[in-house]
Amino acid sequence: MNKLYIGGAIFIALMVVLTYLSVGTSKGGFNGDIVNMLAIAGAIALVTITVFVVIKYVRQMQQDNATGELANESWDGIGEYKNSLPTGWAVMFLLTMVWGMWYWTIGYPVNAYSQIGEYNEDTAVHNAKFEVKYKDITGDRLVEMGESVFLAECKVCHGINADGIDGKAANLNHRLDAASVKHVIENGSNYQLLGSEMPMPDRNGLFNNNTGALITDAEIEVVSHFVANGMSGEGADIFIGACSACHGEDGKGMEYVAPNLASFTPALVVNVLNHGKKGIIGVMPKFDRLNDKQKEAVGAYITDISK
Amino acid sequence: MFHWLEKHPFFFAVGVFIAIAFAGLVEILPNFAHSSRPVIGTAPYSTLELAGRHVYIKNSCNACHSQLVRPFKSETDRYGHYSLSGEYAYDRPFLWGSKRTGPDLMRVGNYRTTDWHENHMKDPKSVVPGSIMPAYTWLFTNSADIDTTYAEQLTVAKHFSVPYNQDVPMKDGSVKNVKMAQSLAEAHEIALEEAKLVTADMKDQDVKDAVNRGEIPEIVALIAYLNSLK
Repeated sequence: MNKLYIGGAIFIALMVVLTYLSVGTSKGGFNGDIVNMLAIAGAIALVTITVFVVIKYVRQMQQDNATGELANESWDGIGEYKNSLPTGWAVMFLLTMVWGMWYWTIGYPVNAYSQIGEYNEDTAVHNAKFEVKYKDITGDRLVEMGESVFLAECKVCHGINADGIDGKAANLNHRLDAASVKHVIENGSNYQLLGSEMPMPDRNGLFNNNTGALITDAEIEVVSHFVANGMSGEGADIFIGACSACHGEDGKGMEYVAPNLASFTPALVVNVLNHGKKGIIGVMPKFDRLNDKQKEAVGAYITDISK
Repeated sequence: MFHWLEKHPFFFAVGVFIAIAFAGLVEILPNFAHSSRPVIGTAPYSTLELAGRHVYIKNSCNACHSQLVRPFKSETDRYGHYSLSGEYAYDRPFLWGSKRTGPDLMRVGNYRTTDWHENHMKDPKSVVPGSIMPAYTWLFTNSADIDTTYAEQLTVAKHFSVPYNQDVPMKDGSVKNVKMAQSLAEAHEIALEEAKLVTADMKDQDVKDAVNRGEIPEIVALIAYLNSLK
């Protein structure tokens, strides 16, 4: 019995010395460093408690006798004492069952974390902030926003300078290329750039009122360059005769009838973003996932750079 | 009650079975939920699209490109709606990828076009300055493997009930019927028809000529696949 206590004391002393050697000699030692102080205090406490608990149970094993009332069952000669449940354990068991029922019915279904839920909240917060911050921007700030959206979404095809990267996409620095105009005159157009206007017929539906006949190859060539040059140069008479009925004499289009051919307008850009388009170069997909303000901004930016 | 159970091994076994089966049910039942069925608007891959998927796998596109849009605002702004489990119903294997060296391609069909892919595969830097993606010029000369594609279609249709030749509901309320051939020769015909639709928007004359001769270069199949990712 005494051996146990002596052994325990030696063990405690040894652990404390070891702790001192490893911590006390390090930089700062015990004096200057609160963390080292805490470490040694913790070490002493842990070792002491461990030693006392071990001694208690070792002594119990050495001294205790089995007593109590045996249960009825005997399993191959091995009996079992009738011990009542420890109160603390029984209480915890019941509490766990209650907690389990709460968690099963309310805790998990009602309060659970959801990644999609967090996404929805984030998006709502962001959209509300966006709405407040950018609701009233106009002019240069709108153009700036348009440029940033353009650089994120549009430059991959239209290029950083919006020049269409050598004909891989439309050059947005001016309204139209001669080739595009020619293509539309020959094939018609059903892009609904204004959203609701009538489709434009192909060349078999385009009369030149000056000659009273269908538009000819030579006339298409001339008028295409006239439009591409920004409504200037040779061909004004053909434009008046064949195109102005819908597109207006100045080529600026008419609301609900035909789009502006002289310059980009925000409304036209927004419609292309909403519906996409297919022209002589290829298909442009729709970008309707941009929000309304972003579309408006891109419209302002394109209108601005194509002036 | 426990004494009784300990003396009746059969009923004890039944009790154990119920306890373990409950844990199994909790894992199995959610798979029958509506949200884990194919999402409306998800259709099986057509013959050419599936051939393109093989090209995609063969060239390890999934090593640099993921196909999984996570539910973060920054991702949905860039790539579109976050991915849903039911959208991968016909992906065998799925191509989520583990690393984004390049951008996510889950919905690339929504914002890139046939002619853009054509330019990009030939010379990525021509459309994306500073891109580190290599050029994939051999796609323009190699032929797509329609035989393997048809074998896969037959297999998944038979063993996984992939709804080929059946009406599949689309988002706008219409139905889509993805054709699967009844014979290998017909599979080649179907793929060629689809290829002609793709090359109509392409510029490369060699590729157009090849399709007119009845061949299907890998680039055509790959573009058909990329365009189908929406």
